[in-house]
Amino acid sequence: MGKYRAVIGLEMHCELKSNSKVFSSARNSYNEIPNDNVRPVDMAFPGTLPVVNKKCVQDALMMSMVLNCKQPEYMYFDRKNYYYPDLPKGYQITQMASPVGVDGHIEIEVNGKRMPVLIHDIHLEEDAASLDHYFDTSCIDYNRAGVPLLELVTEPCLSSAEEAVAFLEHMRSAYKYCDVSEADTKKGQIRCDVNVSIMDMDAKEFGTRVEVKNINSFGNVYDAINYEIKRQSELKSQGRYDEVEQETRRFDEESGTTIRMRSKVDAIDYKYFVDPNIPKFKIEKSWLEEIRKNIPLLALERKDKYMKDYNLSEYDAGVIVKEKEYALYFEECLNLGIDAKTASNWLTTQILGEINHEEISLKDFYLTPVLLKQIIDEINAGTISSKQAKEIFYKAVEAKKEPKSFINSDMAQISNQEELTKIITTILSQNETQVEQYKNGKDNLFDYFVGQVMKETRGKANPVLTKEILKKELDK
Amino acid sequence: MNNFTKELVDSLAEKLLIGLTEEENQMVLDEFAIIDENLGKLEIDGLENVEPMTHCLDDFYCTLREDIAEESIPIEDLLRNSDQTEGREIEVPKVVGE
Amino acid sequence: MNYMHKSIEELHEDLINGQVTSEDLVKEALEKTHEVQEKCNAFVTILDDAKPGDVTDNLLSGIPFGIKDNYSTKDILSTGSSNTLKDYVPFFNATAVENLYKAGAIPVNKTVMDEFGMGGTGTTGHTGAVKNPWDLSRSCAGSSAGSACAVASGVYPYALGSDTGDSIRKPAAYCGIVGYKPTYGIISRYGLFPFASSLDHCGVFSRNVRDAAIVVDAMKGIDKNDMTSWDSSNIHLLESLNGDVKGKKVCYIKEICDIKNYENPTEELKLHLENFMNVLENIKKLGIVVEEVSVDKKLLDAEPSVYVAISCAEATSNMSNLTGIIFGPRGSGANINEVMMDHRTHGFSPLIKRRFVIGSYILQKENQERYFKNAQRVRRLLVDTWKKLYETYDAVILPVGSGPAKHLDGSKDILTKDTAVLEEHMQIGNFGGFPSITIPDGFINDLPVALNITGNVYDDANVLNIAYAIESQMNFKNQIAKEVK
Repeated sequence: MGKYRAVIGLEMHCELKSNSKVFSSARNSYNEIPNDNVRPVDMAFPGTLPVVNKKCVQDALMMSMVLNCKQPEYMYFDRKNYYYPDLPKGYQITQMASPVGVDGHIEIEVNGKRMPVLIHDIHLEEDAASLDHYFDTSCIDYNRAGVPLLELVTEPCLSSAEEAVAFLEHMRSAYKYCDVSEADTKKGQIRCDVNVSIMDMDAKEFGTRVEVKNINSFGNVYDAINYEIKRQSELKSQGRYDEVEQETRRFDEESGTTIRMRSKVDAIDYKYFVDPNIPKFKIEKSWLEEIRKNIPLLALERKDKYMKDYNLSEYDAGVIVKEKEYALYFEECLNLGIDAKTASNWLTTQILGEINHEEISLKDFYLTPVLLKQIIDEINAGTISSKQAKEIFYKAVEAKKEPKSFINSDMAQISNQEELTKIITTILSQNETQVEQYKNGKDNLFDYFVGQVMKETRGKANPVLTKEILKKELDK
Repeated sequence: MNNFTKELVDSLAEKLLIGLTEEENQMVLDEFAIIDENLGKLEIDGLENVEPMTHCLDDFYCTLREDIAEESIPIEDLLRNSDQTEGREIEVPKVVGE
Repeated sequence: MNYMHKSIEELHEDLINGQVTSEDLVKEALEKTHEVQEKCNAFVTILDDAKPGDVTDNLLSGIPFGIKDNYSTKDILSTGSSNTLKDYVPFFNATAVENLYKAGAIPVNKTVMDEFGMGGTGTTGHTGAVKNPWDLSRSCAGSSAGSACAVASGVYPYALGSDTGDSIRKPAAYCGIVGYKPTYGIISRYGLFPFASSLDHCGVFSRNVRDAAIVVDAMKGIDKNDMTSWDSSNIHLLESLNGDVKGKKVCYIKEICDIKNYENPTEELKLHLENFMNVLENIKKLGIVVEEVSVDKKLLDAEPSVYVAISCAEATSNMSNLTGIIFGPRGSGANINEVMMDHRTHGFSPLIKRRFVIGSYILQKENQERYFKNAQRVRRLLVDTWKKLYETYDAVILPVGSGPAKHLDGSKDILTKDTAVLEEHMQIGNFGGFPSITIPDGFINDLPVALNITGNVYDDANVLNIAYAIESQMNFKNQIAKEVK
């Protein structure tokens, strides 16, 4: 690109976690049986009415606060009217006039640098049904119809695909820290639209805005943005910028390109109006305060805290806060009295290595902090070496058995001063020549003696103690 | 209203997934001429400062529903009024596009 | 012996005394249903296999009633008088219907209406026009035409209606009976097919005010399925009817009631307004203070347009679920859009289609401010004007329409330039959700005419009590339609 700069805005839809749907009391859960999470309103049977789920509003308000948005005094819902077979009512209930949050901002980290992202608004709405396509028919499953969605819209304030993905990752993590969503892209719980335009470096006016809709992974968001920047820049540098149209495109995963869907002229007029079936309701200050109290520390805040309070390196702190479950594991270790550095080392090396290798979630990992502590306690007591600790770790994980059961007397280190002294004096008496050489200045023979002790004890001699006694005996 | 044309009526109707006969189209045009004149009566001084009344009971504040799920409706009830179903689903001609 | 001309309380007594059984009543109601069907075409569905019910302490137990066809009734055809739902058999009951079933009430038929309530003539339903039992060449008005016709004909003591503009209160007037639309949200709308959600009300037809109170007492109640419903457990309508109205204040509006406002008034209009003013004189004898008030003419003149704009706009959205995919006859076509379009094009009557187009025009982004939002703003001004009146008065009392029922052949339900405020003022009751009741107040050329009493929200008991006192003073209580021609 070079001579142009890109202006990018994002829309991020995220499914919320709840027992029931947002305007319907049907279950909100993944269900493989089609049409098995359905109440009459989900299929728009005549006379049915929406009833707003308090938890969804509460979670939406929490995210509104996380994004430093303004919350409305009164809340409304609006109808977005259009016909599509996955939309049984012929309108989607969403928020236009009075969304859960407007005018926000949040700090993210891109390549180690912090930057603010401006939020236009965040609003609560319902998902559509899903269509299964066959040869010449489609079948409609209404399980997803009415599932709560939180849509956040940024200002066009991002300038690269890296920033866009960093923001999305940050928000995904925020949703998880706040426990309002599983935020799993693999399950289709997050979907994004991106707006991309380019302009001359010194220009003041934005260029023509192209929207790419319904992107289902962050990788695709990255590719779609870069493709659009490249496409628009090429046209511009060829003097064909008028060919860049204000239009809606979609991302084609196979070719890695975007494909035109419709132009601005064909834009749908959604005829938004306030839904009279949902009375406006007052958002009480006391309710907001209560929600605010329950906002947990988010990734960046935790990272700062880990570095400041526990002296973790920026790298380690960054790794730990990346996923909520890592941070929770780490903090549980601290609560159990495990030293922060030790916990961090175990987590970022052995444990993450193991779960990445096994492709499992840390939540499903056998060795809980309590069990990890059994190993660490033994090291601290000096009964096992760190090498042994690792062996025990893998044995315990593999056999799904408590580490304790692998720590037996046979394995215990020889840390008894008398016993070790006896072994060492015996070895020294058997190696008189070497002792003579050592005393004449051949210092490197010290390691030879250590090796002999280890050989004799099959590695169980406490190394620190061994060295101490050796030195004393040799210096006699 | 001079921009209320036959073409506009047809395009509005089409977006509502409704077909109009020539006669029906003309009726809309005739009717709209009257409505537009009457709607002109809505222009009352100072109206822009009035908050639109979107709900019937304007002073009414409701309570929100607790997050408790109810059992799904039996599938035979859900499907019994549809003329075309397949298994547990409603079947339609293949949907292409978005 | 016949029973169905009696009031609910009389029937209950007869049932308790064993003078008649629920089975007898159901049989008689069904016989009458068939007679009225023959003459007036008032029913979409006749429940010939209706079963009698137990008689309990509940006043409604064992007594037959009728249901407008836009109430969802489990396992009973519910069409909204539209071809789009001509075979629709719901699997759930509207809450209001469910509440009546719990009281032991026995449904015997579903009544014809203007398609989805969008009309005021009773002529646009898919099964044809409903005729007025007083004069078969006249309409019942609408949209709840069948219910009004049936109650007036003595098929049963009461039937359910719905009211978005005046769809209960006008047919009641033209059929010589009581039509009551209580405060918005006192009865759940769950299961009522929507026309315009911010204006739709459930309500009842009966032949006297006490019966109306009894039925609404049973229908009402907060409903977890309707967020706009509210807890009315402290309101007991029947108990509050004591007839004591001494010192109550009502007002009528000069701009509507003064014959001088009308150029070339018809003879009927003159008689109607004259009769109304006489009634007002009479009710002063009850101790009611009657005063004339003046309301900004410009605001009143805007009223019918407010109704058109809001009702058409909301309707076009509310009826977007009618695509023939999940329910209703499946349309034909090469793709999904054609299939939906075929269903809608052939399912809806021309009148409704026109209103959808108008509603959608009004909601367009570039028109919303001028039409829809301005209509919502004038709605507020009108409601505020009425609320101001309620600071001084218990109710506003006005004549219904410009005379008796209109002729069927003349009543083309097209919106004309001549939408007089006199014809449409009851819509203000829908704008504000006000409790509003129509009771017969006389005859013109042997045909019934009526007055309407509308009070402040939540003040149903007061409004009904005033109506009850006025009704007791006149001789039109419990009247059954007598065919005059």
